[in-house]
Amino acid sequence: MGTLDKLWRSWLFTIKTIAKDKGVLLIMGLAPLIYGFFYPWPYGTQTVTRVPVAVVDLDHSNLSRQIARYVQASPRVEVRLITGDEHAAQQALWAGEIEGFAVLPRDLKRSVLRGSPAVVTVQANGSYALLNKAVSYGFSEAIGTVSAGVEIAKLEAAGQGKLQAQASRSPISTQLVALFNPTEGYGSYVVPAVALLILQQTLLMGVGMLVGLWCETGQNRADASTWLGRLLAFCTVGWANGLLYFGWIYWLQDFPRGGNPGGALVLLACYVPAICTLGALLGVWFGNRERALQVLLFTALPVAFVSGFSWPSESLPPLLHSLRWLAPSTAGIQASLKLNQMGAPLVDVAGLLGLLGLLTLVWGGWLLRVTRLRQP
Amino acid sequence: MTAFWSPFVSSARREADRLRASPWDLAMISWVPLLACALMAWIFSAGLPQQLPIGLMDQDHSALSRQLGRFLAATPGLKLVTSYDDTAQATQALRRTEVYGVVSIPADFSRQIKLGQAAQVTLLHNAQLGTHSGLIQRDVRTAVTTLSAGVEMSARNKRGQPALLTRVAMEPIQTQLVTLFNVSLNYEQFLAAALIPALLHILAMTAGAWCVGRELRDATLDQWLGATPSWPSASAALLGKLSWPLLSLGLVGTASLVGITWGTGWFPSGSLAWVLLGLWGLLALSLVLGAAATAGTLSLRTALSATGFITAPAFAFSGVGFPLQSMPVLARGWAELLPYTHYIRLQMEQLQMAAPLRYTAGSMTGLWVATALLGGLSALLLLRAARQPERWGGR
Repeated sequence: MGTLDKLWRSWLFTIKTIAKDKGVLLIMGLAPLIYGFFYPWPYGTQTVTRVPVAVVDLDHSNLSRQIARYVQASPRVEVRLITGDEHAAQQALWAGEIEGFAVLPRDLKRSVLRGSPAVVTVQANGSYALLNKAVSYGFSEAIGTVSAGVEIAKLEAAGQGKLQAQASRSPISTQLVALFNPTEGYGSYVVPAVALLILQQTLLMGVGMLVGLWCETGQNRADASTWLGRLLAFCTVGWANGLLYFGWIYWLQDFPRGGNPGGALVLLACYVPAICTLGALLGVWFGNRERALQVLLFTALPVAFVSGFSWPSESLPPLLHSLRWLAPSTAGIQASLKLNQMGAPLVDVAGLLGLLGLLTLVWGGWLLRVTRLRQP
Repeated sequence: MTAFWSPFVSSARREADRLRASPWDLAMISWVPLLACALMAWIFSAGLPQQLPIGLMDQDHSALSRQLGRFLAATPGLKLVTSYDDTAQATQALRRTEVYGVVSIPADFSRQIKLGQAAQVTLLHNAQLGTHSGLIQRDVRTAVTTLSAGVEMSARNKRGQPALLTRVAMEPIQTQLVTLFNVSLNYEQFLAAALIPALLHILAMTAGAWCVGRELRDATLDQWLGATPSWPSASAALLGKLSWPLLSLGLVGTASLVGITWGTGWFPSGSLAWVLLGLWGLLALSLVLGAAATAGTLSLRTALSATGFITAPAFAFSGVGFPLQSMPVLARGWAELLPYTHYIRLQMEQLQMAAPLRYTAGSMTGLWVATALLGGLSALLLLRAARQPERWGGR
């Protein structure tokens, strides 16, 4: 039997085995599809708007009421409660009814008219980053607008023209331009990166399960061409899932996509084999069908946070900064964001792709070494 | 009483022997969880991300634009790594993620300001990396506002306004932002404290599914539950079996939470004991959830798949990253069903918000009552499984 023939038979046999094995099929074939919809689900609205807040009005003047109206007009927050009692607002915060409040002090209007400093205190819940941001921006913008109105009125009274008054009030402003994720949606920031992680975890577990079972039955001992056929069969499933995400799910969920479609295909060609060889190696190590699930389920969390998409890699401890490249997802996520979302040319990710190739060779070589046939 | 104690003790003994015989199983409830929690704490040990690389595109080359450059360089959150001459260079560096943002100063920047007109600085930031770009936006805005205030102040002084008056006149109503609870917005506290319980939640449900599922897979259910199990004896046997992983994971969780609070010099104003009671509740509930999934599906593998589906995305649904109130209604409904969502609210309220205990009494009761109910249900499902020996041994 020729090598190619053997490889082809082994590929076909593995594909059939996967199709007949309900457990492996569920994890390798169906789970990526399900997670492709399940994971983006909570982020459907993409942005945080209308966060419930309270206004504690101790001044009861027309100025404080004006501020409350401006806050109400902000799309970031929704005023649930206007009260004269700071304690009530604090309690509502603990009970989770509101996420922050502003205290308008007793002599706010008097101070403003007299030209002495008036300070509005905004209390936001720092335990939740996005809520905190919405509350502090919502209040700051509303109060800033009222404050600017007062200042411009005073400048105009001092003899400046309207435009002049506006320019001298805020001589330098910052224009923010969001690149690559123009709507700054939360889902379009998290999910394109996590997609690569879902691909890795489902594939690792499926391959690990099947190879673990083969170890139980002694099928793990095989020659190189048989193993190559098996690995190619795993890769075939992985590539199909990759195409599903890059081609369909990104489009369906309307994430930033299609920056460099050719490059994305090259990435899949390098990423999937790195995962499959690692999965097979782990399967041999586990030597048990269900062990792959038991051991790999929790790894998604730490692997996600070392990959550098949500927690800046500059802030990782130096040793971890190097160790994290052992997981294919680190290079895979970075390369995918650059190619699919940022539209980088292939040459910009050459190093990452090279690393994935190296991982495949190392894991694959190791696999063939531990699974070679025993000499009779 | 012996009807309860003897199956409890013999089941606990049996499980202890099994754990001793299987290094893998012992590892997955002891040193692997401990190491994983330590890893989470290690990832976030820097606290707040600092020194994020940005670039500067200064087309003005004036004293004022250089001053802005110095302000940016002096901001601890930013690291000014390069300057670019044209947009193409800047865009390329952004795309290569060599820098996460570029501050662009237009050519007539200082001239406009001298003429008393408004000038604008542009920040191009990589919004695909949400955390990075959020921090950079905040820091660049602060630097520009500082420069702007300096310009306005000197203009007012030139017009003859005394310095003291100027500060008030510039911002008649000032906003003082008090971020409650997480004062420095320290991410180590924020993320590591939330992720360690999420990790243990996954590991506990896995352990619950595993130790019950192994009896099914190996077709040893009759040896474990006895020839004629009753509901009380099955409950006692389940309790005996799960007491080891509960004890072990509970200790790991306790050590980790105490480690990242007191161990790092953070003495939360709420009650740490209350949080730990909640954490043990979460772990107990996760264990019986795993047991129920196994006894219900009669398959270790299916139960482990269910564990992945329920616990692995629990963090994403919990409201820690993306708030609950902004989720679509059905997604929020699913989130409210997940035990982790309720636990983490309890933990946040105690560790970070110092809320009185009564605000989370409901969640605490819920965790333990659900554990008891689900435990009872699991025992019933085990009885049903014991009557179907033909379905044991499924993979």
